[in-house]
Amino acid sequence: MHHLIKAEFRRLFATRVGAGLLLAAVLFGGGLMGAMALVGPENFDPPMPGLDTEAGLRAILGMLGYTAFVPAAVGALAVTSEYRHRTAAVTFLFAPRRWQVLVAKLTTYGVAGLAYGLVLAGTAATALFTVAAVRGISLGLPAGDVLALLARIGLAMVVYLLIGVGVGALLRNQVVAVCVVIGYLYLGEPLLMMIPGVNALYPVLPGGATAALTDFTYLADAMSQEVGSTAVRLLPPAAGALLLTGYALAASLIAIVLPMRRDIT
Amino acid sequence: MASVTATDDRPAIEVSHLTKRYGTVTAVRDLTFTVEPGVVTGFLGPNGAGKTTTMRMLTGLVTPTSGTATIAGRPYGQLRNPSRTVGAVFDASAFHPGHTARDHLRVYAAMGGYPDSRADDLLSLLGLTEAADRRTGTFSTGMRQRLNLATALLGDPRVLLLDEPSNGLDPEGMLWLRGFLRRLAGEGRTVLVSSHVLSEIQQLVDDVVVIRRGELVAAGPWSRLAGPPAVLVLSPDADRLAAVLRGSRPDGDPPRVDATGDGRLRVHGLDAAGVADLAAAHQVPVHELVTETTSLEQLFLHLTTERTAS
Repeated sequence: MHHLIKAEFRRLFATRVGAGLLLAAVLFGGGLMGAMALVGPENFDPPMPGLDTEAGLRAILGMLGYTAFVPAAVGALAVTSEYRHRTAAVTFLFAPRRWQVLVAKLTTYGVAGLAYGLVLAGTAATALFTVAAVRGISLGLPAGDVLALLARIGLAMVVYLLIGVGVGALLRNQVVAVCVVIGYLYLGEPLLMMIPGVNALYPVLPGGATAALTDFTYLADAMSQEVGSTAVRLLPPAAGALLLTGYALAASLIAIVLPMRRDIT
Repeated sequence: MASVTATDDRPAIEVSHLTKRYGTVTAVRDLTFTVEPGVVTGFLGPNGAGKTTTMRMLTGLVTPTSGTATIAGRPYGQLRNPSRTVGAVFDASAFHPGHTARDHLRVYAAMGGYPDSRADDLLSLLGLTEAADRRTGTFSTGMRQRLNLATALLGDPRVLLLDEPSNGLDPEGMLWLRGFLRRLAGEGRTVLVSSHVLSEIQQLVDDVVVIRRGELVAAGPWSRLAGPPAVLVLSPDADRLAAVLRGSRPDGDPPRVDATGDGRLRVHGLDAAGVADLAAAHQVPVHELVTETTSLEQLFLHLTTERTAS
């Protein structure tokens, strides 16, 4: 098994995907958080509560959760690349017990997702504290709480990367899988929130569960106000975490079970 | 590379009553054959005959509808570290275009549990050392085929399966491939090479397995299937030469001599030396003397049309 994991790490770092993933973590973590904090939520259009309030702080931390489509897309890209470049046959020749290959991939990408989440949260924390210090703002939450919220977002990135792996294993076509993942997370879920009735489902969708981690309801509230529906009630953070773990397990199961008997032609 | 000897009595490759159906289409039907070590075996048939499907079933990539396909007596999935026993090449290009040749080999060296030095050994064996750090996306067809072979040989396997390896190779590449596969077979390995381009493979194979529409047409040593070669001879005095040749073995089996219609005689049962010696002894002038081997194409057409007629 460790042979297969070693091989998957090599595969990841032999392309530009590994470096790209770290760059994205810095850009979305430090870059996005720094930019939002510099501008200040009170200057957003429409204006949001400032960084010196708890609501304002939770809101911009929650925004970070919306970059989850990045690790999800990377997961989908990584698994489908084997089919696109026709290396799946070679891989399964070297390791005919296909589930082992997928377990190795999930392990590798789980670690990569963790690294992504850590860099994302770390650079975001650095940017936030630096900007707050420079602008002389005292943040609306104690530093420990801010770090804990960022850590939750970082861990959620692991889940999204694994969901991407599952979708990739399910669909196998690279373009379709990446479009589905980004389309759903970036557009699909927010659109669902706008449909009266369906938006009741939002708390149990991956996006809703992620928002629950930081109790981030700003977007959902804005949406429901816009369409005049009842406000969305998110799950408690622990339930959100449990649900996200469930999604990760389901995606992993799909990734392991599906390729087992499918013909590689 | 060390010489390889088979360690058990079972044929290196054994296909038995193998059938694969896709919906209503039967790609392979009740196929049975074996492949022996130490020779190059050609797996021949027109496009769509079921060659690739059969080879994919042999390697566990495709699940048979019924029947069995084993290598060294075991289904592929039950081999311990299969890349140590079997090397297979299916696609003309099976690399991530962003990987370098060395990266690609190291990924699979890690997968098979081989040391990294194995990647460099194979790059050198296949003449790719200079290209080791180039991204495979920039490789020519010939280089891709070499890298495919390098990947298949990482585990120093004693069975090699190659699906249409000559596709897209230039004459120089073909010549190299021929020499390389001959050498591998000479080391005692089992080499199965599929092709639909018969002229390209004729000089390479010792044994053939011919399939058509998923069914076996013929299998065996090429020389036995082709029969002994005939001799074509051109003489200005053809009638006298024919009489001399026919009367050459009064007590044995006389050679068969037929006129070809263009002034030549086709002789069966005597080799070129025998014909030349007899002509010289009887002072019959000879202007041309050619050994005529059956081409794989002729044999193939003969076998497949015969099959259709019956």
